[in-house]
Amino acid sequence: MAQQANHALPPGFQLDDYRIECQLSMGGFSIVYLAIDPDGQRVAIKEYLPNTLALRTEGKTAPVIAEDHLPAFRYGMKCFFEEGRALAGLSHPNVIRVLNFFRANDTVYMVMEYEQGRTLQELIQKHSATITENFIRNVFTKMLNGLREVHAHRLLHLDLKPSNIYMRNNHAPVLIDFGAARQTLACDTPMLKPMYTPGFASPEHYRQRDLLGPWSDIYSVGASMYACISGSTPLPADVRLESDRLEPAMVRWEGKYSDQLLETIDWCLCLNHRYRPQSVFALQKALTEMVTPSLPPPPPSKAPWLKQVIGKLKKSNT
Amino acid sequence: MKFTVYHESRIGKRRNNEDRLGYCYSREALLMVVADGMGGHYYGEIAAHIAVQTLTETFNREAKPKLSDPFMFLRQGFNHAHKAILDFADMQRLADSPRTTCVGCVVQGNVAYWAHSGDSRLYMLRKGKVMTRTKDHSRVQALVDQGVISEQQMPEHADRNKIYGCLGGQQAPEITYSRKTPLEAGDVLILCTDGLWSGVSGDLLANSVRNTPLARAIPALLDTAEGKERSYTDNLSALGVRWEDTYIDASSVISTKSMNRNTVTTKMDEFGRNPDHKTDLSDEEIERTIGEINAAINKSFPFAHSR
Repeated sequence: MAQQANHALPPGFQLDDYRIECQLSMGGFSIVYLAIDPDGQRVAIKEYLPNTLALRTEGKTAPVIAEDHLPAFRYGMKCFFEEGRALAGLSHPNVIRVLNFFRANDTVYMVMEYEQGRTLQELIQKHSATITENFIRNVFTKMLNGLREVHAHRLLHLDLKPSNIYMRNNHAPVLIDFGAARQTLACDTPMLKPMYTPGFASPEHYRQRDLLGPWSDIYSVGASMYACISGSTPLPADVRLESDRLEPAMVRWEGKYSDQLLETIDWCLCLNHRYRPQSVFALQKALTEMVTPSLPPPPPSKAPWLKQVIGKLKKSNT
Repeated sequence: MKFTVYHESRIGKRRNNEDRLGYCYSREALLMVVADGMGGHYYGEIAAHIAVQTLTETFNREAKPKLSDPFMFLRQGFNHAHKAILDFADMQRLADSPRTTCVGCVVQGNVAYWAHSGDSRLYMLRKGKVMTRTKDHSRVQALVDQGVISEQQMPEHADRNKIYGCLGGQQAPEITYSRKTPLEAGDVLILCTDGLWSGVSGDLLANSVRNTPLARAIPALLDTAEGKERSYTDNLSALGVRWEDTYIDASSVISTKSMNRNTVTTKMDEFGRNPDHKTDLSDEEIERTIGEINAAINKSFPFAHSR
């Protein structure tokens, strides 16, 4: 695989109006760069560059695309556009913002906002001690605000997992990587093979894609919460369908977290999609509902949060 | 799987309807069966019923959600139905067992597989043309094949009732299998008994369903066949499906695998191409799409950087 990898554009490269600082990540489908826009702001730029179809050798700018790969390359570009379209219509603090879309070097680029932070995946691997009950409730309740907005636009994320939840330094979570997002009501493109992450993908991802719905993203949310506590990827749903050896959160961590949180996680991880929370709202309600008084105070839900602000204002007045 | 289906059976001028039809489907496979019973009293009707029931029940057991081998399924289904009819005759102590023709078709993965015994037919229609149809196991079909009579002469020929392939007879049934037939969106498969096909030509069938919903086209075809002035009017039945998906050759699908630095985040990006979609994104389309996306960005964030 190593010799097949694409070469990233070098630091200092002037890409359209943007100057590249460094490469942030590389996947099989794209490369993400940190860059500076004309106003001196930092942005993230995603470059469409599927490495099986287009190869950029060291020192070159435009990738080499074999003649017979061109239709597939252009087809993949359509998928890349879909991600752009999905994000362009969304405006929410917990969803990554797309700032611009442009064409250069025989391929296309998506410019996104960049903020300092790290993915939830990095956070749970390096700072497992910070994963308290309060942290999980707080992060996921906020993240779900973003997911609600996504669902309200009749979109499904379809690839939710800790590495696609970006934690800004102010601890506000942002949903990133909508590469798998699809318009739910648009007809399925038969050529589009599914894209998902084992362990976080719901059973519908594997077997009954016509059943994909908000509940499928909710399965992934449950799997992400499970992974936050366990520190590793949960058993993939297709394996669970054969023989369900996933230890319920309620059994595995009883006493360490509140029963209500653990039950909520298990609820999301039901194999039958009908038994899961059917909407993000239902799940948020469960996450903001605190039944065990001995544990730290719940993350403020909307109404108490308002009250807190009002409280603070009152304090500052006195 | 996406399709529309319509079926209708009419008694004609007979005293009872010995035609039977049925269809069933799982998430990934569709089965359609049409049978035309023969025999004294009401036994022909029972033979046809057993045939349809045996096939649909086997399908229910085996389509989970795909059939492992559609042709094998059809072969076993036809043979089980044949034996079930013989068992029925034994139980009723009938001197001669009832018989039935049968045509069955499975569509799975946008590929059609069919088999038939006797003179009930399957027509595969595409863009107003008959792509293929089953060849009857009948005396008249043999005469057509030998060039003795023309296809138009089949319905009124004196030997038209002499068929040599059927389920429930004394000999093992003669069963003919189709090829694996990839379907395209818009293709129509019609399974019917001789009551229909003897009254309407293949070209008329193909033309009638081309741009008309099956729910309108099939009743009209049955009307035509029923209204024909003939020396007889048999039962007449048709079961039609319009397939809405297109088969894609797996060898034309290109897959790319990628791994992130992070071991947890392994994902599969797969995309392929359809031979029919080789006319790819043109430069103008790319420009237009980018324009649309940027317009959407500006609508959502009036202060975004986009130009």
